[in-house]
Amino acid sequence: MNILVFAEVIENEVQEITYELVGKANQLADKVVTLAVGEADVNSINSDVIQVEGESSPLNYVVVKKVFEELKPSAVFFGNTLAGIDVAAQFAADMALPIATMVTDVSVDGDGFVATSVAYGGKVMVDLALKSPAVFVVNRGSFPAEDGKGSAKSVKKLDIEIEDGIEFAGYIKPEVEDIDISKADIVVSVGRGIGDEANIELAEELAEVLGGVVSGSRPVVDSGWLPKTRQVGRSGKTVAGKLYLALGISGATEHIEGVKAKNVIAVNIDRNAPIFRVSRCGAVADVLELVPLLIERIKEVKGE
Amino acid sequence: MKICAILRVVPDLVEDIEINEEELIPFAYIANERDEHAVEEALILKEKAGGTVDVLGVVDEDTAGDIDDALAMAYAKGADNLIKAILSRKTYRRYEVAKALAGFLKDKNYDVIIPGIQAIDAFAGTLGGMLARCMRIPYIGGAIEIEAQDGALSVKKELGGGLLGEYRVSLPAVVGVVSAERPLKFVPFARLKKAMKEAKVEEVDVEVPEVEGVKVTRYYEPPKPEITLLEGEPEEIADKLVEVLREVSVL
Repeated sequence: MNILVFAEVIENEVQEITYELVGKANQLADKVVTLAVGEADVNSINSDVIQVEGESSPLNYVVVKKVFEELKPSAVFFGNTLAGIDVAAQFAADMALPIATMVTDVSVDGDGFVATSVAYGGKVMVDLALKSPAVFVVNRGSFPAEDGKGSAKSVKKLDIEIEDGIEFAGYIKPEVEDIDISKADIVVSVGRGIGDEANIELAEELAEVLGGVVSGSRPVVDSGWLPKTRQVGRSGKTVAGKLYLALGISGATEHIEGVKAKNVIAVNIDRNAPIFRVSRCGAVADVLELVPLLIERIKEVKGE
Repeated sequence: MKICAILRVVPDLVEDIEINEEELIPFAYIANERDEHAVEEALILKEKAGGTVDVLGVVDEDTAGDIDDALAMAYAKGADNLIKAILSRKTYRRYEVAKALAGFLKDKNYDVIIPGIQAIDAFAGTLGGMLARCMRIPYIGGAIEIEAQDGALSVKKELGGGLLGEYRVSLPAVVGVVSAERPLKFVPFARLKKAMKEAKVEEVDVEVPEVEGVKVTRYYEPPKPEITLLEGEPEEIADKLVEVLREVSVL
């Protein structure tokens, strides 16, 4: 069996999720080919590689289609990323292939596949049976990246013309941050459960007594309560310090992808909130009731 | 510019969802959050470039009434026309929905069709890209800003980690919005109530083709967290959290 992996290449760098996909594909298939669009160094991808000139563009579904027609793989793996999903959905629809998205596991089942997806904000798991050939859009962190790293078995360069319609004009780098949350050791993060913009002050006060900084989930940033530079998750920053204290954050996959802190403590009124599954400690409580008490206790302990 | 925003309803995750192997039974439905942003961005584009915004509500027979408030909200914010597409059956396969909607949209001459980038139940495809391929027009997702520019669009797309890509997209096109460029506009209740009375919704039945290849074999709950959750009086929880903060050397 052959599997084609679509590499996530951003600013000419192969992203970690590519290795996660290649590792899993190597477990399932005899032959794995990774397709990389862009000038990236592809030598550490542990598979055969096809490299095509170009940029990150939704039009890359055309490139995948041409390579797919040549290789006739049983499956095509994409990362569930902002770039990957654009390409995967269009490729699957154009070829009328079955597709599973939000995937956390894939296995071979007879002539087809079984995929496990995590949907509904992390509250429901779904098993899907797919006919081969099929398309899988896999969540970041589902498989170990180490298995996909090594040295490329071969690197073949191809020129593939893509149609007009979308033109890449360039990258826009993130704004210069007031505070870089990705470098902070202690991060107090707020989600929808904070209720109102005025309550952000509570989180700021807690962060201050802990010597940390405040970040937030997408809905809080979308509401304009915190600047974009403070967003944690797929679209925003990854936090990797000592503590991530999540206040009223449900823990959807897109958010969890940005949480790599050593210790996660979560406070949420919903005892079924997915955030508790990645936490070292979880408290079922109303954030607005608990946080003032917590600030008081911490001040006592610190003798303030 | 003739703009169409797509609005769907999804289970309200704040409420319970009954899960059995064959199906999910949500307690309540709400507007899909990313689609609310799509509607907002469509209205922003209208402000900037002129034209009209039609909002296409996509529901099945069971959820046909659950979208009315969200459609009225769009009207209160400035949408010109409201359409409710009632799909002939429930489907989690976005390809089937895309094919059905493409059939409905093909002769409507929209310059740009704007869905939210994804819905929380998008485990078998995402609508925007699939709709674009069924209509054979360009697609870009992850948009946070759309500008009209010399008969085309300039779209800022999120690429992760705060990085954006800027793209020029020819028209007609489908643009999947992740967040509108400003927070969702607040609508006072009195205005919403007025819109609920005044808004006229054109209802259309849309036949959905059945396409083989993917089927759900079971729905189930994710594993329970391995930790013991702290519950009880907030004072006690605060004390325990202080202990944990000491354990992890934060205090």
